[in-house]
Amino acid sequence: MSVSKYVPYTLLLTAAALFPYCVQRIFLNTPIEAEMGTAQKIFYFHVPLAWICMLFAVVCGVAAGIQLRRRSARAEAVAVAAGEMTVLAGLGVLITGPIWGDATWGTPWTGDARQVSTALLWLVFVAYLLVRAYGPPNSERIAAALAIFGAVDVPIIYYAVKIWKTTHPQTGVVGSLPDSMWSTLWYCLAALLCLSVAFVWIRASQERTAIALDEAWIAAEPPQPKPA
Amino acid sequence: MQPPVDSPSSGQQTSPDSSPTRVEGRDPQTVRLKREYEAEVEKKVASDYSHIVWAYGIIWALFAIYGVILWRRSAAQRADLEALDAKLGSSKK
Repeated sequence: MSVSKYVPYTLLLTAAALFPYCVQRIFLNTPIEAEMGTAQKIFYFHVPLAWICMLFAVVCGVAAGIQLRRRSARAEAVAVAAGEMTVLAGLGVLITGPIWGDATWGTPWTGDARQVSTALLWLVFVAYLLVRAYGPPNSERIAAALAIFGAVDVPIIYYAVKIWKTTHPQTGVVGSLPDSMWSTLWYCLAALLCLSVAFVWIRASQERTAIALDEAWIAAEPPQPKPA
Repeated sequence: MQPPVDSPSSGQQTSPDSSPTRVEGRDPQTVRLKREYEAEVEKKVASDYSHIVWAYGIIWALFAIYGVILWRRSAAQRADLEALDAKLGSSKK
């Protein structure tokens, strides 16, 4: 049995240990932000989720590019797993963001550039998964092209607050945090990253198994008699 | 000019030495109401746990649901592998 099989379970255990510690830090060791109050504590999971969403969108796009170029089953499996994580984390961001916005801006959706570009990224990757799941034979190449297109949206999301006037905080706000908030953010990022990498690892392994099983079933089928 | 304002309802007390801030153009009742309102808003902002409970609950529910989906998919693959093994075993006999 290879050591790599234990990696996702080690990551899951690390995440399970880190999550309660993160919650304890957020509520007991991190001060309440003066202007936004307790609702600002959504930040500690909302921002890492957004980073994870963008990270796996890029991973999916790169893996899809490799899949198109080399027809690699491993890259295809990584692309599918990363695409699912992008959709999952994106959904988390698109739900927690408006909850936070409702508390601090007074409205859940202002339609600013970062919100809209994140929603577009999410929709592109939902389309990617739908094409993969329900597309005709050989549609995985069209899906891969969609994933590359989606990955291009990532820098647009990042720079949206600089290019357009938005209600979102600027990108430099994380660096300006006091130490207690800053360190709590990193613990939360570590917990979510362990969990998401573990899930992507398991999902990619499942996808490779599924591809191998499909090929094995086809090989196991007796040859069809040729029509007369 | 209005007299110095020291609203008992706002919970703020001025020491005898400090000179209280004079508020011009507003009657004491308006100032008291404003301070009460600000105190209420401050209290609400500092104890608004409903938004955070919803946000954290949704994040963890999403990951938990995805974990269950992965687990079920893994179980389905194991069953598929066993069926393939059985088919290959029966065809060899």
